[in-house]
Amino acid sequence: MKNGLLWRGIAIGAVASMSVLSAYPLKENLKLGLDLRGGIHLVLQVETDDAVRSETDKDLDRLEGELRDKGMTAAAAERSSDQTFVVRGVPGERDREVAEIVDDFLPGWNWQRSGELLNFKMAGFNLNEIRTLAVGQALETIRNRIDAFGVSEPVIQRQGERRIVVQLPGVDDPERVKDLIKNVAFLEFRIVDYPFRGASAGSVEEILANYGGSLPGNLEIKPQIVRDERGREIGRGYYAVERRSAITGRDLRNARPGLGEFNQPVVNFYLTHEGGIKFGEVTGNNIDKGLAIVLDGNVVSAPKINSRINDAGIIEGSFTQQEVEDLSTVLRSGALPAGITYLEERTVGPSLGQDSIRRGLKAGVVGLSLVVLTMIVYYRLSGINAIVALALNIAIIFGALAYFGATLTLPGIAGIVLTIGMAVDANVLVFERIREELHRGRTVKSAIEGGFGKALSTIVDANITTLIAALFLFQFGTGPIRGFAVTLSIGILASMFTAVFVSRWIFDLVLSRRSRVDRISI
Amino acid sequence: MEILRNTKFDFMRYRHACAGVSALLLLATVGLVVLGGKLNLGIDFAGGTQLTVRLDEPPQVDELRSLMASSGVGDIVIQRFGDPEENSVIFKTQLEEGAEEGSRDRIVAALRGRYGSTSGKLDLNEQGAQALAAKLLDLDPDRLRSLDEAEAAAHYERVAAALAEVKRQVGLIASWEQVAAAPALGAEEGGAASPALTPEALAALREAAELGHFSVIGAENVGPQIGHELRRNGMQAIVLALLGMLAYIWLRFELRFGIGAIVAATHDVVITLGLFIVMGLEFNLTTIAGFLTLVGYSVNDTVVIFDRVRENLRQNRRGTLVEVMNESLNQTLSRTVLTGGTTLLAVGALLALGGDVLRGFAFIMTVGVIVGTYSSIYIASPLTLAWDRWFGVEARSKRRAR
Repeated sequence: MKNGLLWRGIAIGAVASMSVLSAYPLKENLKLGLDLRGGIHLVLQVETDDAVRSETDKDLDRLEGELRDKGMTAAAAERSSDQTFVVRGVPGERDREVAEIVDDFLPGWNWQRSGELLNFKMAGFNLNEIRTLAVGQALETIRNRIDAFGVSEPVIQRQGERRIVVQLPGVDDPERVKDLIKNVAFLEFRIVDYPFRGASAGSVEEILANYGGSLPGNLEIKPQIVRDERGREIGRGYYAVERRSAITGRDLRNARPGLGEFNQPVVNFYLTHEGGIKFGEVTGNNIDKGLAIVLDGNVVSAPKINSRINDAGIIEGSFTQQEVEDLSTVLRSGALPAGITYLEERTVGPSLGQDSIRRGLKAGVVGLSLVVLTMIVYYRLSGINAIVALALNIAIIFGALAYFGATLTLPGIAGIVLTIGMAVDANVLVFERIREELHRGRTVKSAIEGGFGKALSTIVDANITTLIAALFLFQFGTGPIRGFAVTLSIGILASMFTAVFVSRWIFDLVLSRRSRVDRISI
Repeated sequence: MEILRNTKFDFMRYRHACAGVSALLLLATVGLVVLGGKLNLGIDFAGGTQLTVRLDEPPQVDELRSLMASSGVGDIVIQRFGDPEENSVIFKTQLEEGAEEGSRDRIVAALRGRYGSTSGKLDLNEQGAQALAAKLLDLDPDRLRSLDEAEAAAHYERVAAALAEVKRQVGLIASWEQVAAAPALGAEEGGAASPALTPEALAALREAAELGHFSVIGAENVGPQIGHELRRNGMQAIVLALLGMLAYIWLRFELRFGIGAIVAATHDVVITLGLFIVMGLEFNLTTIAGFLTLVGYSVNDTVVIFDRVRENLRQNRRGTLVEVMNESLNQTLSRTVLTGGTTLLAVGALLALGGDVLRGFAFIMTVGVIVGTYSSIYIASPLTLAWDRWFGVEARSKRRAR
């Protein structure tokens, strides 16, 4: 036993100094959660149906083109839902040729004839692939944007099938970053059908009246919402635009802020080669019509097409300089492949976090003092032994948090305070056992030995049940709650080490200094 | 000090009375829930918008309520938040379908109308450091732009960051003195910090900006879909944790002990939940953490007693299970009380000083430790006894004999 004393002491010293070294200075080494540090936490959902829809549009375009090339000039394809479309004007005897085209160009589609119509439905594997790609691309896009914005230590993670979690700690200007990500920038150019020229229609009814009550299938109505500098809506108009977009943000090669003819902020854009060909064709066929620039479902402007546009153009609207810069960044970083819905959004101001830290600290200090006092009153010198163990326990919690880069959250602080109260339990179990042994008339030495020995299995069993709770808590929880599960778990594990190993060592150390021990302060 | 030495309480004698009391409390909770005692669901579970706002004067909740009503913000809960001198309030609304940001914008717009900048000047309490830096660069009070544009931009960014730091500390800048006293960033610690703003910059800022009387220091928005999931996951976590512990105790002890411990823990959760509802506290994510921790604590407390029962049974002492239980309860009583006590001190400190965010958690743990300690003695042990009587080896053999 005596030989072990030195080695055990060294081991304990090593743990203690490692904990302190990795945690000190706390301010630099401890990673604070968003709730303490301030920042933004966002959970967003990628509306993958958007991506499916635009893929459908692209493919039906392609099919239509191929069919016409083969001389079926009457062929016309029209989307009937996000993942289906119908083709008219293909005579029944040419189904073989259709099958060849589909094999060559549209492998991700199933089709069958019903009377005059060919019904196309996207195949399951294709659908899944598009959805997966859309989420991956959205993740990448958001990452690019955040990087461009220069936030330190951002967290951008996929969660589940189509969710993305974004955490931006310490952001002091939340609104702008939020707008930047939020700016879905799902950009589309669509031909305007009504009003044929000039300003938007004043109401949906006006548009419907123009079409005799119901909108033709190839059109839909998009609003134009005009906002003032502070983002308040000050006016609203409507356009009937084609369902199919001429080009989308994907066809963009570059975008830059610039100035329009009246020195107003505009965005200059440049198209990819393929996009340019498409755009040239559409604009060439629709000269004098309006071209609606639709951003996230809202018409930002609808200038007249004066001539064929091949590879570059301007986006005009009532933009501020900052909006134009952000829009360019967003378009450059790649437009999101699909729309995004915000499921959860939490912004914590730094001052709120500081208040939380202050309060948690105060509660911790008061709780700790009360526990220390109780232990000393109840166990006297042995109480001090328990307090040394407790102090080491707290050091280990902070050391482990720093070492593993775990995040301290407000509930995490609560976990530490709770640990302060519960960690002494292991000591209490041992001390009570020692007292019992002493009452039975055992010598101090054998009482200590017996006390530790008998309490051990209780300590393990009792603590494992609490660990089970912490485990499920970790599984269930998001950020702050996980922080609680982490500190609680570390605290429990550390308390087993400190109460069993460290306290025992202190007892042995004290006893080894004396040749005869009759009494012990417990 | 030793207060509970060699006690010889006959705990088991009161087991029926205690079962009655517990049954009453449980029924009361169930009744409370059935008879429409509404859970005060926070936005974590109900979905909705919550704004934490700091004002530069003590908030008048009634006045704010009528302000919101006249601004067309529907169903809204307005509460004071934090210490009185913090002048903070929380606004809470349910989420209307499809109106993701709607209520938040409307609340802020209403506040801006009443407390915000009226002149259209830059509001230091509303705008972030970036907007401020841009404004300062525009004004260029320190006449740096003619020398070096990039240098000037960097300079004003530092100034804006210093003001942001002040705002970070206080949440709301209430007076120009605070702006004037803002220390420059990167000042040596201990040394006299030079002010961040030159007199010229201060004067220019006073001219071009103003201090609004409110600041949004926290904003949360949770969609109904997430709320639904969180609720389901929370319940799942509690149930699974209970089952996990049941399995562990079954493995390490016997089924009868596991049943006793788990039923006692469920008992604690339900009774605490009842009190929680009566107190009208808010049910949120931290609350779930509280209940799970309570489950852990309750079972932990019970296991210590059972461990002793098991040990005493192994030593093959004479006596009925009731006597062994009584003996074990007395032997562990001192520990039960002391550990309960220290835990209570810690969570009590949290309840008293931990602030509003942790209040629910601290309340659950405070009540839970008391109920959990009681249930370890008066519910878990008698239940194990009852299980033994109904399904135990002796009971079974007796039935067979009949």
